[in-house]
Formats: sequence, structure tokens, C-alpha cells
Amino acid sequence: MKATQNTTPPAQPSPQPNTPSDQQPGTAGPQTASQDSQPRVLLIDDSPDVHRLLSARLRTENLTIVSAANGAEGIKLAAANPPDIVLLDIEMPEMDGFEVLRALKDNPATLDVPVIVISGHSTMQDKVTAFDLGAIDYVTKPFEPTELRVRVRSALRLARLVRMLAQRAHIDGLTGLWNRTYFDSRCAECVSTNDRHSRPLAVALLDADHFKSVNDTFGHPAGDLVLQGIADILRKQCRATDVPCRYGGEEFAILMPDTAPEDARILCERIRNALEKIVWTRHPERAVTISIGLIGSGTRCPLPAGKWVESADKALYAAKSQGRNRTVVADLSSLGPKLAMAG
Amino acid sequence: MLTPGSPALPALTSEYATDPDMRDLVAEFVDAMPARALALQVALAEQRLRDLQRLAHQLKGAAGGYGFPTLGSAAGILESTLKSPGLKSADPAPLDRIRTQVDDLIALCSRAVAGPR
Repeated sequence: MKATQNTTPPAQPSPQPNTPSDQQPGTAGPQTASQDSQPRVLLIDDSPDVHRLLSARLRTENLTIVSAANGAEGIKLAAANPPDIVLLDIEMPEMDGFEVLRALKDNPATLDVPVIVISGHSTMQDKVTAFDLGAIDYVTKPFEPTELRVRVRSALRLARLVRMLAQRAHIDGLTGLWNRTYFDSRCAECVSTNDRHSRPLAVALLDADHFKSVNDTFGHPAGDLVLQGIADILRKQCRATDVPCRYGGEEFAILMPDTAPEDARILCERIRNALEKIVWTRHPERAVTISIGLIGSGTRCPLPAGKWVESADKALYAAKSQGRNRTVVADLSSLGPKLAMAG
Repeated sequence: MLTPGSPALPALTSEYATDPDMRDLVAEFVDAMPARALALQVALAEQRLRDLQRLAHQLKGAAGGYGFPTLGSAAGILESTLKSPGLKSADPAPLDRIRTQVDDLIALCSRAVAGPR
């Protein structure tokens, strides 16, 4: 592993899949879903009459209706662009609604999409099967238009709440960044992508310098404001594909998929410089700096996720011991082939 | 040739005849009735019972939505008969029943009118 300390001004990034100038900054981190976006309804039914009827009856609901005339088409459309809700017929030629429901629930991309079965079958067994397979509601044809509208509305409301809760479970309450749990799962995904597809990856650990003394001298509310200020800088400087997280305490982490180490270093330096320049309202005389340990590889590096974080932590320790307020980069690119041969 | 609103029996008017959201759709549904009746007749004549069942099932699901519950119920009765296990036996009785039910359904289709346009 080669460790180099960055002291020179940021150089022009070499051509890479994802460079710091590729995307507008300020779009990273958890995004709040737009409340006024039009929900998409995927209707899977082999009867053109039902498509016409439902479109007319749901016209007032401000929905976008996407039509599929059979099960296979419905599964394909749902997987390509998961809708907010699926309205599904049961009796269809070739692939019936139960098979479609099973396929939707087997695919991680469509697993959480709520499905309302709208069927001419009204036996207890059909309803039990539909609910057991994961449907959230069952409406029998011919349907009562007002009842259908409120059931669709209710299912959409519930789905929105579930999505919001799931997202909140991954958001850090103080800073609004992704939390440690989210970092762990995304880090594993990114490392796996690097390993399987030989895609560049960089991981940074950032630690506020002498943060304890900010808390001790100016109080914990001032310390919280510093953490929130750091989070704001991460949000502003990171790109939409970056994953800025609060790792714990005064420590932050950034996953930078498709980013070569040199490009990641430029981004980290921007963050470090931006923080250094902040004049804090509660303690204008006291600047806050950050030390950054950065690890990355432009090619495949078959290390487990834990080792990536451990290496970034070592680089962070080096940044601290070399005097703080700096970025130390550990480039794993040269290690990849050796590890692959050894493995 | 099937003529919508045949004068022999009273016309079946859609429950949604005056619903502004539905008027045009109901008219389309009624206009397609002769083709639907023909499809039922042909499927029966060619003894394609699975196709006949599917047509009955679709009509059952849609007719009520267009304001023709009587038509939907008749289609539902035909669908149930076509699904009954007795159909597979050599007994010709169920097939006769199906013929009668298809005729009844077609008669109902011929009486369907959209209402005032």
C-alpha cells in the first residue's frame, strides 16, 4: 500500500468514469421525495375494456396510468421502472395474476411495490392466495368507482409512509446525512461492484480535529452546530453519486463509486478547504479543521468491505499523526492484481 | 345481424348514461357489442370453450363497470357453467345449457343502449 500526503494544489483530474466536475455538487445525501409528483399506476389486465374503464374512473386522482395487456409485459414494465402501485387482474391467458404477483415479489426492484388485485374472482381461496402472495388489497369486478378510488388513495398513502420510515431508519438525526447502518450496506455493495466489474472506488473517513475541545470550550450545542456545518459542506461538495454519511461522533465517511483515487483526493481537498474557511458564529476565533484518510482503487481490488474501511482508518490515523488538517491517500490500485493472484 | 336496441324487448340502458365522465365510454362499449356477440357465437360454433370462457369472464368484469349489471351477471353465469367439472363428461346436457346461456347473453347484448348521447 502506497501512502502519500497531499500538499500540492489540486491537479487536473485524469479522465475517469466519474470526476469531481462531472456532476453538480449539492445533490448528495438523502433526498426528500417530492410530495406533488404524480404517482404512477401500472395496470395489468388483458381486457381493453377494463383499461378504458379504470383510466376514466381514476382520472380525478392525478395519477399517471401505465398499461400492460398481459403478465409478461407487466413484469417487464414494473422491473424497468417500478411504479408506485400495481393494479393486477388474476385471470389472464398464458400467465395468470398469481404468477405475476409472485414474480413481482421475487424481484428486489419491485418487492415493495403495493399490489391491488382487481379480479372477477370472488372466492375466499382466490383472496387468501392473493394476500398470501403479498397483495395489499383485493377488489372484485365489477368495482364500485368511488370505493376503488379510495382504496388506491389509501394504498398510495401507506406506501409513501413505509418509504419515508424506511428512509428515516437510514438517516442520521443530527446532521441529516446517511447513517452508519446505511454506510455499511452501501459500502458492501460498492466494494462488490468494484470486485465484480473492476470499477473504480474510493472511500474516505473524515474526522474533525480536536473536536472534544470545541465541545468542552463552547458547549455541546456549539459542537452540534459544527457537526451540522460539516454535514452541509459534504452535501454541497459531494456529487449525486457520492454517499456522504455520519460514521459516528465527529467522524464522517464518503463512498465515492466510479471515482479514481486522484479524483477523490480533489474532492476531499475541496471539503477540507471549505471547512477551514468557515467563520463560526459561536466561536469566530476558533476555526475547525478536518483530517481525512482516503483509500481508493482505479481497478479491481478484491478486499472485503471491512478491509477498505480499516485501510481508510489507517490513512486517517496517518493524517492525524502528520499534523492534522490534511488528506492522506492510500492507493490500492497496485495491490489489486497481486491480491487477485494471491487469492 | 345484431342490432343494438332491438325493438322486440325493452332496451337495457346503462346506469351511467347520464354520467359525463362515462357517456362516451359507454357509447364505445355498446358500439362494440355486435363484434362481441359475434365472437361468442363463433367460439361456441367452433367449440373453443376456453376462448368462450375468457370472453364471458371479460364481459362479466367489464359490463357492470359500464353500467350493465344484468349483462355482467349473465356473463358470470355462463362463465360458471364453462368452469363446471361436468363439462368434461360425455353428457351433452352441459353443452346444451351453454348454448342456451350464450343465446341469452347475446340477446341481452342486443338490447344494450348507451342512453341519450
